[in-house]
Amino acid sequence: MAGETALLDVGVLFAAVALAGLLANRINQSVIPFYIVIGMVLGEYVLGRIDFPALLGTDLVPHGAELALLETDFIYVGAELGIVLLLFFLGLEFNLDRLIAAKEQIGKAGTVDLVINFGAGLVLGYVLFGSFLPAFLTAGVVYISSSAIITKSLIDLGWIANDESNPMLGTLVYEDLFIAVYLAIASALVLGGGDVGEALGQIGIAVGFIIVLLLLVYLGTAWFQRSLETDSNEFTVLRALGITVLISGAALSLGVSEAVAAFFVGMAFSSTAHVHDLENLLEPLRDTFAAVFFFWIGLITDPTLFLDVLWLIAAAVLLTTPTKLVSGYLGGRIYDLDERRSLRVGLGMTTRGEFSLIIASIALAGAGIGLAEGVADDIYAFAVGYVLFMSILGTTLMQYSDRIEAAVVPLLEGDSEPSAHPSDD
Amino acid sequence: MPITETDLPGVGKKFEIDLEDGKTLVIVTHNTGRRDVFLKADDDADSERLFELSDQLARTVGTILEGAYFQPIKTEDKATTLGDGTNIEWFDVPADSPLEGRSLAEVLADGRIHVAIVAVQRGEDVIPASEPEKRLDEGDTIIAVGTNEDLEQFKTLLSGDDGSGLD
Repeated sequence: MAGETALLDVGVLFAAVALAGLLANRINQSVIPFYIVIGMVLGEYVLGRIDFPALLGTDLVPHGAELALLETDFIYVGAELGIVLLLFFLGLEFNLDRLIAAKEQIGKAGTVDLVINFGAGLVLGYVLFGSFLPAFLTAGVVYISSSAIITKSLIDLGWIANDESNPMLGTLVYEDLFIAVYLAIASALVLGGGDVGEALGQIGIAVGFIIVLLLLVYLGTAWFQRSLETDSNEFTVLRALGITVLISGAALSLGVSEAVAAFFVGMAFSSTAHVHDLENLLEPLRDTFAAVFFFWIGLITDPTLFLDVLWLIAAAVLLTTPTKLVSGYLGGRIYDLDERRSLRVGLGMTTRGEFSLIIASIALAGAGIGLAEGVADDIYAFAVGYVLFMSILGTTLMQYSDRIEAAVVPLLEGDSEPSAHPSDD
Repeated sequence: MPITETDLPGVGKKFEIDLEDGKTLVIVTHNTGRRDVFLKADDDADSERLFELSDQLARTVGTILEGAYFQPIKTEDKATTLGDGTNIEWFDVPADSPLEGRSLAEVLADGRIHVAIVAVQRGEDVIPASEPEKRLDEGDTIIAVGTNEDLEQFKTLLSGDDGSGLD
């Protein structure tokens, strides 16, 4: 059965994300929430529950359950590749020199961002779930802003040429580095089971694997450089994928986060002369599989679960929108920007996206291992609902920033002490 | 003239060039090769996007700005100096030209013509001088190389204004 319709399923998947992307583009929104929603709509939880014969009064139309897309191996592995490629790019574009050159400003702005948002997430998660691991995961979900959405909005709005792009991209670099380490620890904790000893063992393996990768990055530049010496685009892509996916897959089979492995492999390639070739050649591939990842996220999301976690989502939105606004504003001030541009940094940084979803997928993978199944499902549904809301909110705040600035900047300037909560209404 | 260079992780590089009147020209070079060019009216102003260019186009525009770009282009007087008093010039074959209908072989053998005919453009096509059996038509463009006087003389001959015409 699956064999006969497998190709058709994949065709439906790509056609659906293509249309969702078109729609998102038309209304100037980020594509990510649209990919998720279309996945949700075509999955067993929405389409699969629609009883067409009963609705239309005819047996000619099959029941929705027969039409709904299932989580096939292809979609699952495609989503996995999406995660690997997203993190590979993060590593590839991670610029250690930049971090060191601006370490004071990035360090301060990034730490303010981390303490305020991760701290708020920890407290929120502990209050809601009452134990450490769910709180740790919640903190990650609400802390990490979306590099993909923010960078695209910066370019679309032309802010990229303004001074506010510096603290925003700088803070994202700090977040990226933090999240690489965070993912390693989180997946070790979640997959290591509730047992402390086993979790420590997993963390040990993860740390060992990261150290090996770091040595590889540090000592292997010449090898990575040679590995891609070819005039053929075909060979460049195949070799880069061969190295990245192989190492990520090996990591996963050892119980280490594949995302972290991909990040360090990307970092290893970032110091070779092939960076620009890799970016150009692999970008379409990354975007293809990232779309599969977002679609998959939607596909396995039961939207009726949103009702159960609605108050969780609401609490998180109400708490972490202001915290990002404040930390972003303070980040802008650390970069010596004026009130208006600092406010913009806050507006932009509120966007959460792909990395929150990767953390959500880790939570789901830990269902019944490190997390009770109910808790894992709740965290997953919470993260998806939260990202759907925050990705659209963040993009919208950036688009209407001129009106918000007109309303808020006079208040900020009238206030000599910039500790006021900039409100977003 | 200070130029500030900033890395934009995941995007590319940003270059800011201070212009004389307090304005700043901002050029964002994307990793994909695309260039976005912005103008900032003053330090506090938002950057206004002027235009964007593909990698190829940006390089061409760059060489023009640099003054290094040069390519003979058919202009009104259609002449370009090759150096040492030799020019290359384009002539349209006018209606009623004495050369109309003549083959290239006949024209090349004409003793009164002292220019070298390199090729003939006919619409999109180029007829090289190595195809002497081809006949000239009204509307063709003859590409000829020679001294200024010889080219002038050829022009007169071509238009039939010297009264003699070809035999």
